[in-house]
Amino acid sequence: MRCIGKTERVNNAPIVAEQLVRHFGEVKAVDGINLTVNQGEIFGFLGPNGAGKSTAVRMLTTLLRPTSGTARVAGFDVVKQADDVRRNIGVALQDAAIDPLMTGFELLELQAVLYGIPANKMKQRADDLLERVGLTAAADRRVGTYSGGMRRRLDLALSLIHQPVVLFLDEPTTGLDPMSRLTLWEEVRRLNREGTTVMLTTQYLEEADQLADRIAIIDHGRIVREGKPADLKRTVGDPTLLINVSRAQTDSAKTVLARFGELRPTAEGTLGVGLKGGAERVAEVVRALDEAKIVVEHLELSQPSLDDVFAEATGHRLEGAENAPQAG
Amino acid sequence: MRRRPAETARHLVALSRRSTLAIFRQPALVGPSLIFPLFFAALGSSAFSRAISLPGFPQVDSYLQFTLAGTVTQGVLFGSVTGAAALATDIQDGFFDRLLAAPASRTAILFGRLAGSSLFGAMQALVFLLVLLPFGVVVQAGLLGYVSIVVAGFLTAFAVGALMSVVALKTGSAEAVQGTFPVLFILLFLSSAFFPRETMSGVYRRIADANPISYMVEGQRWLTIDGVSLTAMLQTLAIPAGIAVLTTALALRQLSARLRAR
Repeated sequence: MRCIGKTERVNNAPIVAEQLVRHFGEVKAVDGINLTVNQGEIFGFLGPNGAGKSTAVRMLTTLLRPTSGTARVAGFDVVKQADDVRRNIGVALQDAAIDPLMTGFELLELQAVLYGIPANKMKQRADDLLERVGLTAAADRRVGTYSGGMRRRLDLALSLIHQPVVLFLDEPTTGLDPMSRLTLWEEVRRLNREGTTVMLTTQYLEEADQLADRIAIIDHGRIVREGKPADLKRTVGDPTLLINVSRAQTDSAKTVLARFGELRPTAEGTLGVGLKGGAERVAEVVRALDEAKIVVEHLELSQPSLDDVFAEATGHRLEGAENAPQAG
Repeated sequence: MRRRPAETARHLVALSRRSTLAIFRQPALVGPSLIFPLFFAALGSSAFSRAISLPGFPQVDSYLQFTLAGTVTQGVLFGSVTGAAALATDIQDGFFDRLLAAPASRTAILFGRLAGSSLFGAMQALVFLLVLLPFGVVVQAGLLGYVSIVVAGFLTAFAVGALMSVVALKTGSAEAVQGTFPVLFILLFLSSAFFPRETMSGVYRRIADANPISYMVEGQRWLTIDGVSLTAMLQTLAIPAGIAVLTTALALRQLSARLRAR
């Protein structure tokens, strides 16, 4: 069953936002976002904590009213046709707990009633979803006994009970172990292959790179880059040469590196330069550093990544990216 | 867009089931709400057994018979905060958002949360009656009296739960809801729950005269001691029902304000 609304649809793209703004007092959490997510896409919203990802998603899922601007989800206005939006979307929010006193099956049952699924179809639907997310054996256990990964999988099942047109996943793998992340990624891909449009927020570069057809990089409430991951990486151009030197030699090393390209923002303690000419010039850089009597502790040539795209767009690296658990 | 009443009713039933299951799955919450009022009744029965001969006390066989209504009201007040505290917890931990992101009836979200503690209020009244019966407590009004006291337990729990929900919706903090509990406790002791108003004087008497809890308790007390009367029935049922209407209106207004502020 694909849900339909009770009022008129006006646009075919599942998610359209125009000049979406949300202020909290003086704070501009979202500051004029324009975006279109096409049918069948996995769209990634990438940014650090506090960038405005979750606020934007909360507006698109009708949980927050925009201060200004408009948005349509599944063809319905998020303010004027909020109930129709809710009937057509699935939402798994990072900060929405699952009642620990209920069993997985009971929660699916409750969700089915709220979405108007007939009682005679409810059990089959719940059983199918529990099997799909690998929770059949735990269906009658209270959620309080579930692991973090099991809760996220149940959360996903809950968001799918009514077979939504658009699925919003807010930081779906934050805090999960690598195996649970891979399982969830696979499930998201499978849902997408079946036709569900997915919008996910993440602060993990690898997650955005692996899952998203297109991404938007958000920083301080504004979208600073948008496009396919491969295209965005190409815009950064040259690979980044990363070196570590002693603190005392940092300034002279910067002077040397600046001769080979534009200095790039890096993690603290590391220097980076967009190396014009690529790998062929690494030896030349090493010789120049040697001539300047600079002792190189570590040297690494890094191909453009989404982190480079992020750094190039915002002037700083994605916060916490280095700490994200590596899957696979 | 207006929701069909049948859809709202289905949401209400499903959410009420959740809140009821939640209460009975927390023995640490159920136990004290049943045990402490009975403990106070036993203590009062022993300490104040001779108080019933004081001028102003009604003609009763035992202090226990006199204090039955007070015990029921005390227990229900103890338990009635749980629904509102659970609502605040839902807001704190995000389950409230989960429900709001679904096409769930907003009023069903509120009343579904209160249903569990209201049913628990009725169950508390029934348990207190059943436990105290073997100790010689008899409700003179008969079956109608027993049923009325149980229904009063439901209505009182609902009324107080709705009032506490205003705090829950305003603050989104379970601690804030629990923090208001002493106010209820003080109101209970400044009523005729444990002594007749006729034995009081001064400010204490004036507060008890103005305290609606006094009239609720006295209605149940008359059903227990004197039997059925229109006044007793009205005080037992109409006062908590009236308060419930008022506090429900306040809770709905606060819910609306919370949703508008999003």
